[in-house]
Amino acid sequence: MRIPILKLHNYLLISIQIDLDDQTAIQFQEDLLNKIHKSGATGVVIDLTSVDIIDSFIAKVLGDVVSMSDLMGARVVLTGIQPAVAMTLIDLGIHLQNVTTALDLEQGLIKLRQELEA
Amino acid sequence: MDFKPCVNIRKEWDIVGARQLGREQAKEVGFGTVDQARIATAISELARNIYLYAGKGKICFEVINEFDHKGLKISAIDQGPGIRDLNQVMQDGYSTSGGLGAGLPGVKRLMDHFEITTEVDEGTQIHTIKWLR
Amino acid sequence: MEQMLLGEAKLNKKCRGGIFLDGTLQEFVVNNSDVIIKNWLEEVTEKRKSDYTSSISTELFQSTNREFVNVIFSSLDKQGLTTELDDFSERLINLGWPLSYLTDGLQTFRRVTIDFILSQSEKIETNHFTNVLEMVDNWVDPIINSLVNEYSGNWEHTVSLQRVALQELSAPLIPVMKNITIMPLIGTIDTERAKLIMENLLEGTIKHNAEVVLIDITGVPVVDTMVAHHIIQAAEAVRLIGSTCILVGIRPEIAQTIVNLGIDLGKFPTKSSLRKGFEKALELTGRKITRSKERDQTIEKMMSSLEEG
Ligand SMILES: Nc1ncnc2c1ncn2[C@@H]1O[C@H](COP(=O)(O)OP(=O)(O)OP(=O)(O)O)[C@@H](O)[C@H]1O
Ligand SMILES: [Mg+2]
Repeated sequence: MRIPILKLHNYLLISIQIDLDDQTAIQFQEDLLNKIHKSGATGVVIDLTSVDIIDSFIAKVLGDVVSMSDLMGARVVLTGIQPAVAMTLIDLGIHLQNVTTALDLEQGLIKLRQELEA
Repeated sequence: MDFKPCVNIRKEWDIVGARQLGREQAKEVGFGTVDQARIATAISELARNIYLYAGKGKICFEVINEFDHKGLKISAIDQGPGIRDLNQVMQDGYSTSGGLGAGLPGVKRLMDHFEITTEVDEGTQIHTIKWLR
Repeated sequence: MEQMLLGEAKLNKKCRGGIFLDGTLQEFVVNNSDVIIKNWLEEVTEKRKSDYTSSISTELFQSTNREFVNVIFSSLDKQGLTTELDDFSERLINLGWPLSYLTDGLQTFRRVTIDFILSQSEKIETNHFTNVLEMVDNWVDPIINSLVNEYSGNWEHTVSLQRVALQELSAPLIPVMKNITIMPLIGTIDTERAKLIMENLLEGTIKHNAEVVLIDITGVPVVDTMVAHHIIQAAEAVRLIGSTCILVGIRPEIAQTIVNLGIDLGKFPTKSSLRKGFEKALELTGRKITRSKERDQTIEKMMSSLEEG
């Protein structure tokens, strides 16, 4: 299973709509990095509104994606993390310290622009 | 509903199957969305550990219905290599596989009751319970 | 009749002494209820001078006493606990009378009754003495037990009601302005409440689409490591869902405990007052407070007209 990655100007938009298994998550990491490389995108928004589980593995993959994208010159914002998921992550002791977050896709794009302009 | 008390963990996809079934069960017992997420995530951690470290094993569910107490018991059972240093493993950030090492201590925090017995070369059994608030 | 039965206990012959001629110890007590009641009322009234019931009017106190003692006697009459007793205790609970009024009253009653019986007995033998004590205990103890149960059941009920009420009030979320929401925390935070606060906080943040959430801890009396831990977790979770959390209302003593406990709040903004936090929130959402020029001009005009005048 592959997660579609949309391009919009300099941004890549991803909305994760499925229950991520490990393989799909790793595939996604690879696909996204390739797409950043090919498109030269400077910003990425990953929307997690429909994701109802983020366990330590998925959290690690997401955190890694953010750091890797950063290395390639693309800022990543995670949006729409659900309250239940946030609380579960906190219980797991996962804080995604270096990750920028926003309430929804729209605010994610605003934040990206602010960060890229600053 | 066809009640299946255990899910075998052999392939990676079984992790997803187990946590989905766990969420269903949690919903049925009457847990709210937050606790459903906690339970499903705990199952995910336990099932992945089985897959990664023991190769195969099973996740079992049991609805507990005591007179004034309702809850869901999740057991993770395998006949894998066991855990050599339990104390170390229960510390945040300890991982032998480059993971976040949040798994087991995290599961303990996600659930209300956590019990682990492990024997080197015999296997590992983890029993956890979440009580309905 | 040579023997008198009281439950299984035999009454010693020697103590008949003309008093117990025709009945049991119990009947004797009932027949002499006037004296016992009189003695009891005297003692209770005497004791009252120095105690908790002093805020209750004399009439009410006396009528309650009379009712109380009647209830006690009717429970003897009917061989056990009665609905009168239940009704009576329920009424006292609702009126807010202290449990000690009832327990003290019953202890006094026990003593008065025993004193009276023994004072009317010719000779006091161990056997007789035991019988009297047993009879009075069997009478008074169930009443005390029942009252204590009733009272504590009621307390538990009240406590659980208050808990529900507290939970409802415990985590209100106030959307003060588009994208800015305040959560004032009041009272003690325990683990259960912390979970509730976190849930309300996150759900509310999403519902109000709040870019900034101010958590005001002015009303939290003690911030220990556990409370700080819960607050930090809540703030972290708020960040995860994509909003910013500002902790406000940090009083000096709380700043001291936080630092002394070695708690690191460095990761998110804190402000001493709600006002400062609010200004920060405005800044974060790209706004700021400006005084409208017009008003300044009006004030200037007023000032100068005053100076001229
Ligand atoms: N069922 C098991 N059988 C054998 N060893 C196990 C088992 N479960 C856990 N372990 C050991 O305990 C260690 C800690 O597990 P834990 O789940 O806490 O962290 P992790 O799996 O390494 O990382 P994470 O779960 O954060 O991705 C593992 O690295 C592994 O060595
Ligand atoms: Mg693990």
